[in-house]
Amino acid sequence: MHLSTPTPAPDLPRGTVPLTWVVVGVIVAAGVLVVGAAVYFEGRTSCPSGSDTVTDDLGRQVCVPANPQRAVVLGPSIMDSMFRLGLRDRVVGVDCYAADLGGLSSDYSSDQVALWNLSSSMCVQTGPTFDVEQLLALSPQVVLAATIVSVAAVEEISQTYHIPVVMLQPATLEGIIADEELLGEVFDVPSAAAALVTTLEATFGRAAEFQSGLLANGTALPTVLITYSTDSNGYWTFGPGTFGNSLISLASGMSISANASTFYPELSGEQVLAANPEYLVYGTGFGLNESSYSGAPFWSQLSATQDGRAVGMDSNYFTEPDPTMVLIGLPQLTAILHPDSSV
Amino acid sequence: MRAPTDVPRRVAESAARHPWTLGLLLVILAVGVFFSPLLGTVSIAPATVLRILFHQVSGGALFADPCAGASVPASGCAGLIEIVWDARLSEIMLAVVVGAALGISGGTLQGVFRNPLADPFLLGISSGGTLGTAVVVVFRIGVGEQNLLLPLFAFVGAIGTGAVILVAARSRFGSVETLLLTGVALSSFLSAVLSLLLLYSPAGSLQVDFWLLGNLGALDWTQDGIAFGVVLVAGTLLATYGRELNLLQLGPDVAQSLGVDTRKVRVRLLLLASVATAAAVAFTGIIGFVGLVSPHVVRRIAGNDYRLVLPGAAVVGAGFLLAARDLSLAAFPGTLLPIGIFTSFAGAPFFAYLLFRRRGLSTMGTT
Amino acid sequence: MTGRSELALQLRAVTVRFGERTALHEVDLDIPRGQFLALAGPNGSGKTTLLRAVLGFLTPDAGSLELFGDDVRSLNVGERARRVAWVPQEESPRDNVPLLDYVLYGRYAHLGRLQGESARDREAAIVALRQVGLEERARDGILSVSGGERQRAILARALVQDAPMILLDEPTSHLDIAHQIDFLTRVRELSRERAVTVVAALHDLNLAARYADRIVVLSRGRRVADGPPTTVLSEELLARVWGVVADLRRDPRTGTPYLLPHHLVAPAAPVPGAFLGKGPVHVVGGGGSGEPYLRALSEAGYRVTAGALHLLDSDLEAAESLGAITAVEVPFAPIGEEVRSRLRTLLDSATAIVVAPFPVGPSNLPNLEEIRRMLGRVPVLLVRRAPGVEWDFTGGQARALEEELRRGGAREVSGVDGALAALAAPAAAPPAPLAQ
Repeated sequence: MHLSTPTPAPDLPRGTVPLTWVVVGVIVAAGVLVVGAAVYFEGRTSCPSGSDTVTDDLGRQVCVPANPQRAVVLGPSIMDSMFRLGLRDRVVGVDCYAADLGGLSSDYSSDQVALWNLSSSMCVQTGPTFDVEQLLALSPQVVLAATIVSVAAVEEISQTYHIPVVMLQPATLEGIIADEELLGEVFDVPSAAAALVTTLEATFGRAAEFQSGLLANGTALPTVLITYSTDSNGYWTFGPGTFGNSLISLASGMSISANASTFYPELSGEQVLAANPEYLVYGTGFGLNESSYSGAPFWSQLSATQDGRAVGMDSNYFTEPDPTMVLIGLPQLTAILHPDSSV
Repeated sequence: MRAPTDVPRRVAESAARHPWTLGLLLVILAVGVFFSPLLGTVSIAPATVLRILFHQVSGGALFADPCAGASVPASGCAGLIEIVWDARLSEIMLAVVVGAALGISGGTLQGVFRNPLADPFLLGISSGGTLGTAVVVVFRIGVGEQNLLLPLFAFVGAIGTGAVILVAARSRFGSVETLLLTGVALSSFLSAVLSLLLLYSPAGSLQVDFWLLGNLGALDWTQDGIAFGVVLVAGTLLATYGRELNLLQLGPDVAQSLGVDTRKVRVRLLLLASVATAAAVAFTGIIGFVGLVSPHVVRRIAGNDYRLVLPGAAVVGAGFLLAARDLSLAAFPGTLLPIGIFTSFAGAPFFAYLLFRRRGLSTMGTT
Repeated sequence: MTGRSELALQLRAVTVRFGERTALHEVDLDIPRGQFLALAGPNGSGKTTLLRAVLGFLTPDAGSLELFGDDVRSLNVGERARRVAWVPQEESPRDNVPLLDYVLYGRYAHLGRLQGESARDREAAIVALRQVGLEERARDGILSVSGGERQRAILARALVQDAPMILLDEPTSHLDIAHQIDFLTRVRELSRERAVTVVAALHDLNLAARYADRIVVLSRGRRVADGPPTTVLSEELLARVWGVVADLRRDPRTGTPYLLPHHLVAPAAPVPGAFLGKGPVHVVGGGGSGEPYLRALSEAGYRVTAGALHLLDSDLEAAESLGAITAVEVPFAPIGEEVRSRLRTLLDSATAIVVAPFPVGPSNLPNLEEIRRMLGRVPVLLVRRAPGVEWDFTGGQARALEEELRRGGAREVSGVDGALAALAAPAAAPPAPLAQ
């Protein structure tokens, strides 16, 4: 059998842009338009009545309802401020790791849990992934978030569910003061905020005075290494631009990693041995103690170790940027570095 | 001798069985979509969930007070509705869209590269997308609008990587081997750039981990809609290339002699697959295994005809991702695991099962 | 629709280069519609390159290619698929596609973007399967049938493609004898039934001779022979192009020639037009005397024949390496009747005869006798012998015969140059030979 004249397939004439490109181009353009419009219009909404605008640490303009009673706190550093400002009762939720993987105790030490009267019913899972449902179940009026939460999650909460999120990410120790004022504004407790600020400033003042006194005397500042973790390769410490580094400076010490190139460098055993810091401070809490660190290279050869100047300090004091770091951590570190001082 | 007319009828019969299979899969998916909202990290009585669903779908006509008898949060029934409708259902919709995109993309790439181990991320799209989100976070671009900028940059990053591959594909050096190598090289390069970026921004590291593990809870309905639209168009277009993909399996020369413009078709397929994958992962991050396994499941059920494998992989992918979400919630109540972990966790043994059942994957054929 | 042209395929000066190597060198070829053409040549001669150029898998560096009147470059992939179908040497499908679906793939070029296969398409596929004898196996998978059946299925697919030309690249290389015959028989029948032009690259010259209307031989990228099997196939061709010494016989059933291969020699470099040109010139020699003349003549573009020579004679080796057809006798035996009659045939076909200064004994004396018979019909060139060398071992008979030749019109020439000059000079042109 022989088929009659075959019908030619409708090929595109040469030079035509394939249909697919056109369709895809339209989709992408449409998407860009939608996003652009959304961005444009979002920036223009003004706050509804009954709420005020505050500016958070990232420069975001947030509409917060007046005098909120239900707040969710995502970050122990913020919880610290809330407690000191007498706002514990307004906190209905805190950040936790996944319930089956540690839950509350992953983020908060048992002391903190006891002190702040936290329970796992307040948990909002922030890691390994953020759980929106748990947040929504607490019906928060405002969310206070630190750096532990991913930006995507923050934006999702604020824009998808229309819950105001205030980001508290102080860049320096002094920024903590600004945060207390911000919290005072959000929760309408200006006097508590002012009092806390005064205490903080006083502590900073004393530290500064002490330091100028030392410098006037010509006393050299002792060299210090603060480490929060060690392994067979070396010592993990704080580089320039971190709170740990700032703390050392304010405590009138000289960090041996002050000129590192990254924020959280690992110094090798040789580097630390060469620098041979006068004081060695290691982080404790969450199950860590000296034996957790002594496996580091040259640990026992460091003069600080041999002379009993290797001291433990609660890691929270140099990792969490909160009033406790200033009010307790700073004096404690100063005392370690200058045993005869009184800051 | 058998009468000639018997043969076409018999063959037609076997082909006709397969659309039923596809329909069956769709029904299973629909059922899954309906019952998935019952599962979540916050425990809500199933009856309440169903009442809320009907209430919302009917615009308030049915079940005027869906929360009657249930324990409501401080914000009242509205809070519960928000959890079920805005959080859970949008997450489920996203799972369906992303699963479908990954499934059909994976099937397409397996066909183009004639390799049963190809997956949607073969061309380095994942690295591009990750780099896109990292850039937004590290350089703090548009803080406050990042809900939209993050997916946008991820999409651009992913598509950009795909575009480089496509340029290579259109050139004289567009052989399958070249494409693969280009993808691998690009992937490595972008990963290196990413690592460098993250050295200087630990906050970015958190974001990248979040992205790399994959997560479904990300969107409002608008973004769901965008993802759905893009994936629907790209996926539908992909599904029309089933015949070309069948012919490509015979080898590029034979396919060309039969009338398939191999290079053009390859470029179009890779473009569409890249768009679908990029749109999906822009919102959810990297979710592995779905794109790899789904086409194989369809092949086991319905054979190797790409006219069925592609739409089938979309449906199976959607179901797989949804099932992964549901299983994760059922197995670990109260905890939300990153979906990417769970698909790998469940996917790997499943894939091994497929491997051993089939006596190796040297061909992608059924016996 | 195909273009308006009598020719299915037209190549003009097509050149294809791969880097330094030239795979096809200015090849011209005209293939009329409906012809069954066999493309032959040693490995690397350019057969596959030529086919691939027609299929559009590569673009020639120079020259033009027209398919049914249309320049191949102006055709898109679909148009080309509707003009030319391809049966490759080997296909390794990955999936166990049912034969019917496999054959239906051939309809792709005729279907629209979203158009499904119609009942008509399906019927055409069944008919094609029937024509290759695979209708019963329509539902079996392509991986579960034998190699021969798979090749037939691919042929069916090419048929369903409904193209007016089919290219086959060594389609029977992997088939057993029975399947080879079966396959080519079907191809020829179908080609005649449907007036389809068939171009098949075939290694087996005997098969090519049996089934093809025309054989084109390629050697190192050039067309060196072209014509019907009876004309093209010769022992000379096989020796020069393939380096194989063979005997040409005639198939008593079909009348087509067939070659019986024997052993290998080094193939000579292809002289352009070697088989389209001058000669043949017959060289009579022996004991190494004929060799320089054989070589010189061959290089000058003449076809040469030689004989009668005895096995083990060094002239014989030289003759064979040049592809010269020879009359051969067993060693040391006198030239027998059969060989003599063969010699006569060779002499009758010659356009000139060169008598090299060979030592004559009783066993090869008949050579001179036969040459005497050719006097006056073709120019006979007697090479002057070197003085003082004993060459007559027949007790004077040889000398007498040579004298007779001289008196009968044979020209004396000195050495190779003399012989070449004498052949070139028109004064030496004889009356037309009796047989060619």
